[in-house]
Amino acid sequence: MNRRNVWLVFKKDWLEIKRNPQVLLPIVIVPIIFAVVLPAIVVLISSTPAAAGSSQNSVEGFLPLIANLPQDIQAMLAQMEPNQVMVYIMAVYFFAPFFLIIPIMASSVMGSDSFAGEKERKTIEALLATPLTDGELLLGKSLVSFIPAMAVTFVSFFVYGAIIDVATYSMFNGMLLIPNAVWLILIFGVTPALALCSIGLTVIISARVKGFKEAQQISVVLLLPILGLLFAQVSGLLILGPVVLAALIGLLVLVDIAIFYLGMKVFQREEILSRQS
Amino acid sequence: MYSVVTEGLTKKFNSFTAVNHLSLEIGEGEVFGLLGPNGAGKTTTLRMLACLIAPTEGSAAVAGYDIQSDPLKVRQSVGILTENPSLYERLTALENMDFFAQAYGLLDPQERSRRIRALLEFFNLWDRRNDKVATFSKGMKQKLAIVRATVHKPPILFLDEPTAGLDPESAKEIRDLMAALSQQEKSTILLCTHHLEDAEKLCRRVMIMNRGTCIIVGSPDELREKISGQPVIQIGLKQVNAKVLAAVKANPQAKEVTVNPQEVALMVTVDDARSATPELVEEVVQAKGQVLSVNVLRPSLEEAYLKLIKEENKQ
Ligand SMILES: Nc1ncnc2c1ncn2[C@@H]1O[C@H](COP(=O)(O)OP(=O)(O)OP(=O)(O)O)[C@@H](O)[C@H]1O
Ligand SMILES: [Mg+2]
Repeated sequence: MNRRNVWLVFKKDWLEIKRNPQVLLPIVIVPIIFAVVLPAIVVLISSTPAAAGSSQNSVEGFLPLIANLPQDIQAMLAQMEPNQVMVYIMAVYFFAPFFLIIPIMASSVMGSDSFAGEKERKTIEALLATPLTDGELLLGKSLVSFIPAMAVTFVSFFVYGAIIDVATYSMFNGMLLIPNAVWLILIFGVTPALALCSIGLTVIISARVKGFKEAQQISVVLLLPILGLLFAQVSGLLILGPVVLAALIGLLVLVDIAIFYLGMKVFQREEILSRQS
Repeated sequence: MYSVVTEGLTKKFNSFTAVNHLSLEIGEGEVFGLLGPNGAGKTTTLRMLACLIAPTEGSAAVAGYDIQSDPLKVRQSVGILTENPSLYERLTALENMDFFAQAYGLLDPQERSRRIRALLEFFNLWDRRNDKVATFSKGMKQKLAIVRATVHKPPILFLDEPTAGLDPESAKEIRDLMAALSQQEKSTILLCTHHLEDAEKLCRRVMIMNRGTCIIVGSPDELREKISGQPVIQIGLKQVNAKVLAAVKANPQAKEVTVNPQEVALMVTVDDARSATPELVEEVVQAKGQVLSVNVLRPSLEEAYLKLIKEENKQ
């Protein structure tokens, strides 16, 4: 494998993606929603007077979650006002799984365009005729999905964290809610593993379908486990703590290896055009 | 040494056989034409030779490298014009060419841009180099795709219908380019085409294939003679009358005699034009026919082709 060739494929695909609003819009808009709208909800809650009692009611919805938190955090929450608890739970726990959606969405949109899209636009034939190897093509195209997906994930995390911290600074007397260990593991450990998983899956799906729209739609199945995670946490079934996240990373790495092994089998140039229907 | 050799090359798509035990040899510097009706398997053959799809059976060597064990070397030695222009529409002409030139290993930036510029200028595309390919006309895309195929000076070129969609002037430019590449650079060219005239002008040998198999191979001249055999003598007259017609019909060398629709010429099918022509003219003159012209008509490659395919499809 030649690194210059991987870079060449990466640059070419990036140039194409950059000029394609169909790809660019979702990977810019969704992170903006998560990084700005979610903290806005927190800001709204933190600015409503504590006496209203409404926060008390909303906190009840999170009781199963709170009951399953680690002892020290439960002790800390017991000292807090209801709307402080509300803000803490939302900002630190409830919104966390949303940030797993960003890498999945971004990498599957870009991956679908790069793999299935190139097939759909019939540019794949000339590309496969070049002396670039299967590995160089696969890696270059995977990176063009992975790097921007990670970039938007990290940027939206920083924006989210900054807005949360600024908005809640005085409410928590100078305690910064974000980052904490859970978020750091989540953003820098789980999301890359998840993005790779989504890219691998997109490669496999792209080999089977005609166009990038279909490839993208099928990739949505990856969002189901994330929604599962969200509900599991609210119902107190599973709390995203460091141990759970570490286990999740381990699991994802295994899945990644399996998926990429399969992806490499599927991404063989002599098969891509033969199977084209 | 042969540039392309195939032996029993076969491609099946599920149970459908697109190319069936094809064997051919193309010499270095030769322009070889692949003809045949739609769906004959021309593109599939080209794709196998360019290592784009794997053959189901058989083997082939391109530039001396086996297509199955040495595909990378094959791809390095080959420039291919695919059926679709296969260009990135969101990139400019220059960005497209720059990408492919690098992919084919043209690493020196100066040499690369010189080469790209020369080719774009040859096809009058240099002024449009910074426009997105999406804004190009069909023929301009086709030309750009030919630039891509030749940018790395490949010793072997596979061209799938290079003149499709081009205006007559551009088509001639491409024919001239192919002739120059073959004669000056000793490039081997495998040309798929439906333009039998192109094939006749350019190709040293052609193969006609149908339903995945080779029907016949040979030089255009050989094929014409083999397929359509008998020449036709056209005798132009001031006026055709019954006496002249009877006299010609009476000659034993005349196999078939027809009068052309304008009734100013006799079309006489014979076995051997050399011996029949003087005899027939003499008969006509003796019958008081006024001869304006005498031509020996040999069928074009196109007529030979059409006849052959018609016979094939009857079977
Ligand atoms: N990927 C594929 N899957 C299934 N069948 C295919 C595939 N590619 C080609 N075929 C079939 O193989 C046969 C030969 O196709 P091919 O494209 O080689 O014909 P061709 O000679 O190039 O025709 P044309 O002159 O129309 O370009 C056709 O019947 C076609 O339907
Ligand atoms: Mg074809």
